Amino acid sequence: MAKQIYDVIVIGTGAGGGMAIKTLCEAGLKVCALNAGRRLDPKKDFRNHRMPWDMKFRSFGDPAKRRADDPGFVDAEWVDGVWEHEIPFTTAPGTKWMWPRCFAVGGKTNFWGRSSARFGDIDFRAASLDGYDVDWPVTYEEIAPYYSRVERMIGVSSSVQNRPSNPDGEYLPPFNFRCLDHILQKGAEKIGVPYLHDRISQLTENHEGFPACHYCGACTFGCDTGSFFSSPWRFLPKAEATKNLELRTNALAKNVLVDKNGMASGVAYIDRKTKQEIEVYGRAVVVAASCVESTRIMLNSKSRYWPNGIANSSGQLGKNLCDHLYGESAHGYLPQLLGQPSFPDFVSDNTIVWMPRWQNLKNPREEKFIRGYSVYPGGGCSEFPWYAIGAEGFGSAYKREVKRRYPTPVGFTIQAPSLRQDTNFVDIDPEVKDPYGIPVARIHFQWGENVLKMWEHSKEVCAEVIRQAGGVYEGSDDEPLMPGWSLHETGTCRMGNDPKQAVTNRFGQTHDVPNLYVCDASVFLNCTDKTTTISIMTFTLRTCEHMIEKFRRGEPLAKS
Amino acid sequence: MAGQDFQRREILRVMAMAAVASHFPGFSKWAFAAAHPGASGTQIRPAKYSPLFFNEQEYALVEKLTDLIIPSDDTPGARDAGVAEFVDFMIAHDSARQYSFRTGLTWLNAHSEKLSGKPFLELSTEQQQSVLEPLAYKAKFRPGEEDGQQFLAKMREITAQGFYTTEIGYKELDNPALRLYAESPACPHKDDSEHKHLPAPIW
Repeated sequence: MAKQIYDVIVIGTGAGGGMAIKTLCEAGLKVCALNAGRRLDPKKDFRNHRMPWDMKFRSFGDPAKRRADDPGFVDAEWVDGVWEHEIPFTTAPGTKWMWPRCFAVGGKTNFWGRSSARFGDIDFRAASLDGYDVDWPVTYEEIAPYYSRVERMIGVSSSVQNRPSNPDGEYLPPFNFRCLDHILQKGAEKIGVPYLHDRISQLTENHEGFPACHYCGACTFGCDTGSFFSSPWRFLPKAEATKNLELRTNALAKNVLVDKNGMASGVAYIDRKTKQEIEVYGRAVVVAASCVESTRIMLNSKSRYWPNGIANSSGQLGKNLCDHLYGESAHGYLPQLLGQPSFPDFVSDNTIVWMPRWQNLKNPREEKFIRGYSVYPGGGCSEFPWYAIGAEGFGSAYKREVKRRYPTPVGFTIQAPSLRQDTNFVDIDPEVKDPYGIPVARIHFQWGENVLKMWEHSKEVCAEVIRQAGGVYEGSDDEPLMPGWSLHETGTCRMGNDPKQAVTNRFGQTHDVPNLYVCDASVFLNCTDKTTTISIMTFTLRTCEHMIEKFRRGEPLAKS
Repeated sequence: MAGQDFQRREILRVMAMAAVASHFPGFSKWAFAAAHPGASGTQIRPAKYSPLFFNEQEYALVEKLTDLIIPSDDTPGARDAGVAEFVDFMIAHDSARQYSFRTGLTWLNAHSEKLSGKPFLELSTEQQQSVLEPLAYKAKFRPGEEDGQQFLAKMREITAQGFYTTEIGYKELDNPALRLYAESPACPHKDDSEHKHLPAPIW
């Protein structure tokens, strides 16, 4: 039997993979998509409408299974058996790293945070402004139309804010401010800090055949109506309708195959059910397995053409690992709201507002650090009153105090980008292999001085926002959360015009192997102060249209 | 339309609950704490709960402590919500916490004997409260009672976890998750953005 050759093999089905699959299939290309885990059934697998008392461990999870590096939702009982625990990774001495990976079809888009701000020229041209690192090989002007198309596709709710550092997009009506937002906004205004609607990919109106949000607040556990963007709700059904997609589940990508010229010819993967290694062939390959996993696959794709990993003649593959520093910069409470009736503050799982980067805007070096960070405020009535655990006392007085405090807690989460440094990178552990015999990724990472200065800065500012709002500041986290917590790792396949300095070109096409593309956050030079998902989709849309044009001309191997 | 959506979701929620209820044999008050008031069957008193981890004396002490921490007063408390069953169940599944809970209970009885010559459960409620006061409030702390202070903090944490994750606990706070919303909920105080002139607190 002649071996089947697809047009494109896509590794991964999340934000990047899903967008690639949809775009390529709709253009008439035959796609074989590989996903490391199973497909979810929202009816069975999403338990977002259950109450804690419907769960065996009241949603706290089985204490015997709880892992120290669980960010809270991975091993909770709301979604079971979709997070990767079988494939290990290692860390270099002194590195702390957590790496929550969703192996279900759609990946982390099933449960993501939904914040969807555009990158701007302040991000792309940051190096020109402050002299650190290099500029991105793209301009906002050329990327902006793709952002607009993605926003129209997925539906993003926000307001027009006229801040060039956070370019406005095409938005559905924003979420309404809660009491705590009005109060905190006044406090922020007094010290010149913006407090605005976040851009969130969550529908405030019916959109593209999907119903508006029903405000249950359980987005982190999956949506049963597709009212926030996820690849399995929005992209994969469209791809499947073209009949151009073959989706293989439980297919753990091992390495990219090469032909006699060293060009990509397919992918070898492990069928996790049979434990067999299988090869699938294509005219082009898209790697979209998420930053670190894509890097592992490419570093493990060694051949006589690519002794250091495929498309790694620059030696940059795996280098430049960046991440968002997360942590609670300040917390406290608003006495104005003591004893007031409860209010549904958590309806968007706390991403209704943000304090977008306000530092180093006029002058790139006006602060003690370069670049800038953003902050997500939140609080109010949550499903579980966490402050009750730290409160003192007992008896009716304690019970009443918990009730009085219910609408009042506030907290601020920083999102601060680390910058590239030589000591932060991913390589392959020479000794450790996963249960399928595939060498595992090894992480080398430390927070840099610049991002730690942002962290200290944010503590002072956020405490002051609480005080200026008439609130009571109660403290800040001593340490930021463990690296990897944000799930926003970037940089290990960075894009650039110089093949000696970058893995991919400005279209996400690898410099060395023109029919190998990278469609995830690993192509970004760093995290910026914004989240990565909408930019992954935006850059992927552009990459795929570039690829489609080459297929149309009959030149899938052409260099750009 | 929106209304139909909500109905459908309510049905989904009830179905999910029914499916789950069958997974919890052996609990008595837990299921009852979760049931809607007035639902048929809630009046039948269940069989006595058999602790999975604590012995009978320890379990009685755990139940009393949960009752002292979140009492039944003008609203239902930890005893009504079956919190002691939750404590026993969680500790039974958590080997890392078993030693500290068992030794904490032992400490409390020994402490009680030292203060008043009786184990904790034989004291009057007022006496029990006065034993807990120095452990529960930083300002009233007495040096030498660190172990008891730490134990009470752990009991308070797990009692809060057990209480505020029942329907009784949700109703205690009027937890907004008990309702669904047709539109993005908006602050109702349109003319008072600083919230300086709010109605008097309701609690």
